[in-house]
Amino acid sequence: MTSSGTAPATGGIARRIGRFFHAEEVPYSLALARIALPIVLLVDIVPRWPVARELFSTDGAPAQLSIMYGQGRMLPEFPGGVAVALFALLCFFLATSAAGWFTRVSLAGATLLYFYFNMLDSISMMTKYSVIATHGLFLLTLSECGSVWSLDALRERARRAAAGGPALGRRSLSSPIWPRRLMQILIGTVYFGAAVTKMHTPAFFSGDQLTYWLITQVNSWNPLGDYMTMYPALLVLFAYVTIVWELLFLFLAWRGWARVVMLSLGVMFHVGTMLLLGLYIFPLVCFSLYFAFADEPHMRTFRVSLRRMGRKGGLGLRRFARFGANAAPGGASRRRLPAPAAFAFAVAGVALGATELEYWIDPYGSRQEGGPPALAEISPERARELLAPSPAIRDQDLVFSFQLGTTMFGSQLVGLRDEFRHGETMLAQVKFNPPHGDLWIECNLHDGDGHAIDEVGQVVPRESLRSNWYFPIDRGLDPGKYSLVLKNAGREIERRPFRIVGDGPSRSLLNAN
Amino acid sequence: MKRWIVHGVIAGYLFALGGGVFAHALKFKHDAHPAMYFLVWDMFCGWAAYSTRIHIIGEGESGQFYELAPAPWGEFKPFGRLGRRHYDVAGVHAPRIALNCLAHTRHEPMARIFVVEEAWAKKHNLPDEIWAVHSAEAKPERPYSYFQVLKVAEPDGTLAVCSCNWLNKQVERCVADNPRLRADPHRGKPLFAPRAGPLTAGRGMPLHFDDPLALTPPGALLGN
Repeated sequence: MTSSGTAPATGGIARRIGRFFHAEEVPYSLALARIALPIVLLVDIVPRWPVARELFSTDGAPAQLSIMYGQGRMLPEFPGGVAVALFALLCFFLATSAAGWFTRVSLAGATLLYFYFNMLDSISMMTKYSVIATHGLFLLTLSECGSVWSLDALRERARRAAAGGPALGRRSLSSPIWPRRLMQILIGTVYFGAAVTKMHTPAFFSGDQLTYWLITQVNSWNPLGDYMTMYPALLVLFAYVTIVWELLFLFLAWRGWARVVMLSLGVMFHVGTMLLLGLYIFPLVCFSLYFAFADEPHMRTFRVSLRRMGRKGGLGLRRFARFGANAAPGGASRRRLPAPAAFAFAVAGVALGATELEYWIDPYGSRQEGGPPALAEISPERARELLAPSPAIRDQDLVFSFQLGTTMFGSQLVGLRDEFRHGETMLAQVKFNPPHGDLWIECNLHDGDGHAIDEVGQVVPRESLRSNWYFPIDRGLDPGKYSLVLKNAGREIERRPFRIVGDGPSRSLLNAN
Repeated sequence: MKRWIVHGVIAGYLFALGGGVFAHALKFKHDAHPAMYFLVWDMFCGWAAYSTRIHIIGEGESGQFYELAPAPWGEFKPFGRLGRRHYDVAGVHAPRIALNCLAHTRHEPMARIFVVEEAWAKKHNLPDEIWAVHSAEAKPERPYSYFQVLKVAEPDGTLAVCSCNWLNKQVERCVADNPRLRADPHRGKPLFAPRAGPLTAGRGMPLHFDDPLALTPPGALLGN
């Protein structure tokens, strides 16, 4: 057997594929993924436990994904208490997966329950990151990720020490690499699929799609989202870099500098989605799975550094291991429960405790004094506002922005300004909010007193999201204040003032097209 | 034997991942089954220029209107600042949310349940200083909201009206704003409809709220 990190690229194609999937290694990298992924998921799902009755039970309002596919309720829905207990067990299994206590059972339980609850709540739990996480948990279940850096490993070490057997060596800790390979391929496929999605979305390459996502406000806090709408040309650039990276990841992220570049771009991309789009769990799920790209030699180096740090800090894993080894054998151990029984008791305790706790929390307030709460009334005015027929879209809402500048980059206006010199060409760009009908738009030049000195119009077909207007600033325009007036079918929408600076007055005709 | 099982798992998993990409790229059976949601990577596949919110209200037999979401005990906010109902962008699950609220509250007998969509141009979400970069006009204090009744349900959840969302309604309006196009559907039309298609469902026949006919196609509407 060869180590994953040192497999030579020789031999026939079948042998090379065999080595690719069946080389053996100590699964340190998957152990890290096993620790990180459940912790990330716990951050996401623990806040859902108090509302588990409402989200996942017959005593609430589940929103099964299968309904969205026109297939009715495919999965069984359980009564409130059962759903609460099962959701608590999901949290428990994720915690024991991270700790590596009965790792495979914990991961299998976590995978099954996480899948079930996601399917049950398509509007507030099921997302693409939860799908990726489900794949991750499934692959970890198939792996031997609990053989290192886990409570199971400590127990095994203690058991061997008690029996006077040899310590576990690299050979006995090694396992086939294929679960890690599948995880790597999963990540590459996710990015490849995301690139296909972008190819299906022409507005992605013009920056329009991203612009609107930046200001959507349906995800968490996105501190840079609004500000990036001021730099649409940068969004166009990001769009091309992103799609190239997503397409190449699956093919280049395997070794050498290409892997470093692909993973670094991945980290930058996901940090970008945090700051720009307000996605936090999605990047953390992906980062957890990125550990799959660490080969065993990298992990050995990491392990040595960890030990050194541990020795300095007095919190070494060895000491922890020694604690396990000393505690297991001897008289004390005879008074302890066997580990499987302890695990089973913990499962039962968590389920019962969670059910009891939720009963006391009384999420619907139905046992409060006075009985169930009363509904809040709505004023007749508010009801009329909500139920009135919708009017046609107002002219003001047709336009997203109306800006002046000097240069185009990727069909976006850059070099925004409101002062122009003689000899320059002023560009005006109007961006339209879809949907809109076929429009007759005028962009008229008015002088400082509000008199129209040039009127230009063009048809903006319904599929068009912008119209551009070119105004050569020649000496026919005296230095001073002007404004461009935007009109739809003769109705004024917006007025953009600007200033011309120059040497002095002279007369000629202004051209705009 | 074990090795062959492993080979089977590897091949099966790779086939499933590849099949998902194939189905997605060629739009072939990509929405045929809920399992496809686990294989199709269509994050941020859609976008809109309007922000939308969902309101769920009930009309009592007295004519008084009540708020059914958020419920009196509060509302779960799964991804940040917005309540759970707002992520049900097509209002598919809203009637069940309403029924759950009614089941756990004191109230007079209900006559109807309304699911209403509110929409406003996303540019109003911009802070003032960034609005000023996009437009020379002053930003209004409140965005102008458009409303559209998506669903009307009986108190037992039976759907009486099922309408398309506000955005699709506007697209329809834009297309229909053409006299020739408006006249064309009426040319050569028989006096009696040969069959009642899905378009008549919701008006002609009652549907329950999770009936497939009452649905909009699936997709990663939230983007994530």
